[in-house]
Amino acid sequence: MEGRSKQQATIQLRMPFVAIFLIAIAAYLVFNLANFQFFPRSVRQELEKIGSSITNTTLRIPAERGLIYDRDGEPLAFNIVQYRLGVSPNLVSDPVGLRSDLAEILGMDEFELYRRIESDAVWEFITAPIAAEQGQAIAALDEISLSLEEIPRRFYPQGSLAGHVVGIVVDDGLTGTLGVEGAYNETLAGQVLDLAVSNVPLDLPEERPPEQRGQDIVLTLDRDVQFWVETELQAAVENYGAFRGSIIVMDPRNGDVLALANYPSLDPNNFLEVKDPTLLQNPVVQETYEPGTVVQALTVAGALESGAITPFWTYNDGGQLQLGGRAIYNYYFQSFGTTDVASVLARESRVGAATIAMEMGGQDFYSALRAFGMGSYTGVGLFAEERGDLRVPGDPDWSEDRLALNAYGQGFEATPMQIITAFAAIANDGIMRQPRIVKQVISETGSEEAQPSTLRRVISEETAFIITGLLTNTVLQGAPQALLPGYTIAGKPGTAAIPTAIEIERGANTSIVSFVGFLPADDPQAVIMVKLDRPDEYFGYEVAAPVFRSVAERLVILLEIPDDNARRQLAAAAEASRL
Amino acid sequence: MSQASSQHTHRRGRLQTRNQATALAVLGVAVLLILGSLYLSQVASFAITNRAIEDLISRRDQIKRQNEQIIGEIASYRTVPRLYARAVALGFSPATNADIDYLYIPGYQPQREAKALAAADAKAAAPVAPAYDQTFSGWLEQQFALLRAQFESFGE
Repeated sequence: MEGRSKQQATIQLRMPFVAIFLIAIAAYLVFNLANFQFFPRSVRQELEKIGSSITNTTLRIPAERGLIYDRDGEPLAFNIVQYRLGVSPNLVSDPVGLRSDLAEILGMDEFELYRRIESDAVWEFITAPIAAEQGQAIAALDEISLSLEEIPRRFYPQGSLAGHVVGIVVDDGLTGTLGVEGAYNETLAGQVLDLAVSNVPLDLPEERPPEQRGQDIVLTLDRDVQFWVETELQAAVENYGAFRGSIIVMDPRNGDVLALANYPSLDPNNFLEVKDPTLLQNPVVQETYEPGTVVQALTVAGALESGAITPFWTYNDGGQLQLGGRAIYNYYFQSFGTTDVASVLARESRVGAATIAMEMGGQDFYSALRAFGMGSYTGVGLFAEERGDLRVPGDPDWSEDRLALNAYGQGFEATPMQIITAFAAIANDGIMRQPRIVKQVISETGSEEAQPSTLRRVISEETAFIITGLLTNTVLQGAPQALLPGYTIAGKPGTAAIPTAIEIERGANTSIVSFVGFLPADDPQAVIMVKLDRPDEYFGYEVAAPVFRSVAERLVILLEIPDDNARRQLAAAAEASRL
Repeated sequence: MSQASSQHTHRRGRLQTRNQATALAVLGVAVLLILGSLYLSQVASFAITNRAIEDLISRRDQIKRQNEQIIGEIASYRTVPRLYARAVALGFSPATNADIDYLYIPGYQPQREAKALAAADAKAAAPVAPAYDQTFSGWLEQQFALLRAQFESFGE
């Protein structure tokens, strides 16, 4: 009895400890239970994601990319859908029927289809890409074992026409990397939509947020002009055995690029098959070259503007000039004796151009070249534009002889787009317009017309008038191959030696020739630049000038530019009706 | 008598209790059936609606794709080389300058934009290009202008 009471006393003594222990355990459990309800935000989101992944599927829907049109509304780039086809062999109930249906629709080998349909895999790829009509025919089979996945694809209906201008799209149609596709990628791309779709049949489809499709772009390009320019360019490159070539047509009055052609051209539909990677660049803006004697026109314009020379200026051309330790020679070491400004341009006198630059001095000369846009981006609106390379006094590798070299377009680099923009400024009475390739951006809320804008006045109206006269004379005296009957043409042929790391190459296929001209000279409506790399003949007037003429001949029809007589008659009729 | 009567009453009471339980059970089953059928009809209605909506969305997408396909085909038929080849096949040839007569139409201005721009230039003088300065500050200014142009080109 006594022992029992002692045992009870021990139990009573231990009981509070047991109770405290149990209470502590319970409190710990309750605390953790409560804590479990209030997760940190990140954990909660993760758990919610796991939870929703069971009932939801996330669909990544790329926004429909904006379309690209030419100035007349003809589509140059738009979207089509193709399909990727797969099969779940376990779900196929009638392999023979399915095999023959697919073979008929896809034109595939039945044995190959049999091998895939009878595969042990859970899912087997069949083929891709499948055209939209084939995809729709397969969808009409209503076969649950087949999975058709959409592949958005950019389609360029004009093929290689203006391929370098329109550009290409990579990354499953999400990223533009050339031309307008690249330069205006953000505008065209729209916004990718991540949409959670419920797998639960009772859930109604959630309302989709409004799709933010890309904006459409209207280019300044004229499709017809582009076609003819490309046709002429291809013929020129082939006829003159040139390595490649480019032609640009610009309206000097508003800076609109009406045509921009390169040959060899690029078909954006098949850019993956291109073997030469340089074809995936637009040489008109992405590659620089030493422009050669075409720059003499800018030198003379700058000299006239600065007052360093007058239209009646003459010098004694001895055929050679020493400057900064370098001897400058005319082509074929010719010496022209007493020579005026017009002859410097017409005869492509290197010594003459260098003498004029020396008369100007470095400050005025480089001021003029910079004013004409050398060494600056044109901002035309094409992907990855280069700004060229113009060294000026003060730069570490500038030397005095560069002044002479630069005067006739050697020793510095520019893009063809910079050269035509400079000539467009001369054609537009000395005012340089912002060159542009995009005319209009159309969104779902409205359209935004890109207004032509003025960059700056490069030369005065008087200087522009004088230099236009000199360039008209240049065509008459120095490049009659460019003359177009009925029209007064102002222009300048250009010949550029190609410097290599070792020396300047000489001989056939060693020059870059060009011709830049505008018409009608007294009321310019189009500036045309022709550039051919490494043609069989050495000089610009021999090769580029005739190509200019061919292009101009078609252009006056397409742009409805009357010849000089017709314009005079129209002006007289207008005057008569006003009186 | 009273004992027999009480036994009878007791038996009837048991019977009544059993009938009530049966009735309640039947009622319960009936209510469950009604609720079940209501639930099923709702589920079926939802499922049918979902299916219909998905079909409509799919149909809409299909029509949209067909439309794009047709636009593509039309654009392919309207390419310049194709039109040119067709025109030549029909006996047309490219016009030359000799084939064109220009007429003066009083009041018609074919180059309205160009004239308007020229007028705007005449009103507001275009900014003159800054002269290149061979001093250090000129060089610095030039570098700054180039940097700014580069940033602007990034922003495009």
